[in-house]
Amino acid sequence: MTVADVREAFPLAPENGRIPHSTEPPTGAETRPWILRFARVPDSSQATVLPPAVYDEQLQMSVGLYDGPLPYMQTHTPTIPDGNVKNPPPLDEGAKD
Amino acid sequence: MTAVLVIAARDDWPTDRVVKALTDGGAEVFRMDTAEFPQDLTLAGRIDARRGWSGGLASPLRAVDLASVTAVYYRAPNAFAFPPTMSEPERRFAAAQARSGLGGIITALDCRWVSHPAAMSRAEYKPLQLATARACGLTIPATLITNSPDAVRAFAGEMRGAIICKPVASPVLIEDDQLKTVYTRRIQAADMGDLRGIDTTAHLFQAWVDKAHEVRLTVVGDRLLAAEVHAGSDTAHTDWRADYASLTYQVTEVPKDVAQGVRRYMDSLELRFAAMDFIVGPDGPWTFLEANPCGQWDWIEHATGLPITQAIADELRGVSS
Repeated sequence: MTVADVREAFPLAPENGRIPHSTEPPTGAETRPWILRFARVPDSSQATVLPPAVYDEQLQMSVGLYDGPLPYMQTHTPTIPDGNVKNPPPLDEGAKD
Repeated sequence: MTAVLVIAARDDWPTDRVVKALTDGGAEVFRMDTAEFPQDLTLAGRIDARRGWSGGLASPLRAVDLASVTAVYYRAPNAFAFPPTMSEPERRFAAAQARSGLGGIITALDCRWVSHPAAMSRAEYKPLQLATARACGLTIPATLITNSPDAVRAFAGEMRGAIICKPVASPVLIEDDQLKTVYTRRIQAADMGDLRGIDTTAHLFQAWVDKAHEVRLTVVGDRLLAAEVHAGSDTAHTDWRADYASLTYQVTEVPKDVAQGVRRYMDSLELRFAAMDFIVGPDGPWTFLEANPCGQWDWIEHATGLPITQAIADELRGVSS
């Protein structure tokens, strides 16, 4: 028997995405974590629209679909969620299982 | 030929900057995401009495000998990806084998790390961050982690009501088909009137610390790259992440005693990178809040000109600053 969780030694994003999608609504006050009373949908107006890009195997970085600077030169986005549940933001906490 | 192994998601654009800085500096880079294994990434690692782990990691375009890897940059890679034709038990089995096989070899590499993933995992726990910071001589706020409403009331009484609550772990969730986040909440008297739900999980409460401004200190190896974060709204004054548009930044220096504590912290947790948050009080003292071993840094470099990308590349190449 082992008690060690080897995932901690080599952390990867979870298989179903960094933030699993759910359509379940919040439950009641008795069963919902108290701090979630203060959860809110972020101000998406502050989110930056990312330019379309593809990964270039040769350069080992993303390149734009059109002429212009490389994508990384166009964006300096902090963690501002845009509210899109299909495109959640990177987590400050990094990868976690 | 030596090589730097970069392990990150393909769409992690700040990592693009690091790759560019490395290649501009003459380094050979092998970039991979763990999601490429096993379908687009081949592993053939060997070890024997004569030498440590060697052999190849190969993608369709390039290959690297594990024995030639002198440094690894590790930043939030994705899960392994298996053919959809696998059954669920087969996929779970294969994922465990991949983690112990590929992940096991990579984490066994004796080289420079920014940072080693086991150290990063451990350092993500806020309770450990606070305990380590305290042991290293940094000032921390009084903190309570509890699932007891009575303990919350007692703590609020001791702190005379000026307390905040924030998540102990990730602040983001998707429920009801909506992405939501939880920022730091300065607790109001009305909040204390109904503590139902405290007992459902661990909650973190902290003494409110008066602030002139905050500091984001990005630590890379021995380099301390500090920026003052000035809040331009009440929302940002409580949690600057809640209102980026109101923020202004200014490069600053780290007081000597804080710098010493930070270096002890990094050594203690065996980190070579951290994004640290401090409150700077009206009279100047620095209070440690948290240290993120995989924090965002791209926007603060852009806003301040602090050379974080170059510092990461230098650390990976073993170049002294």
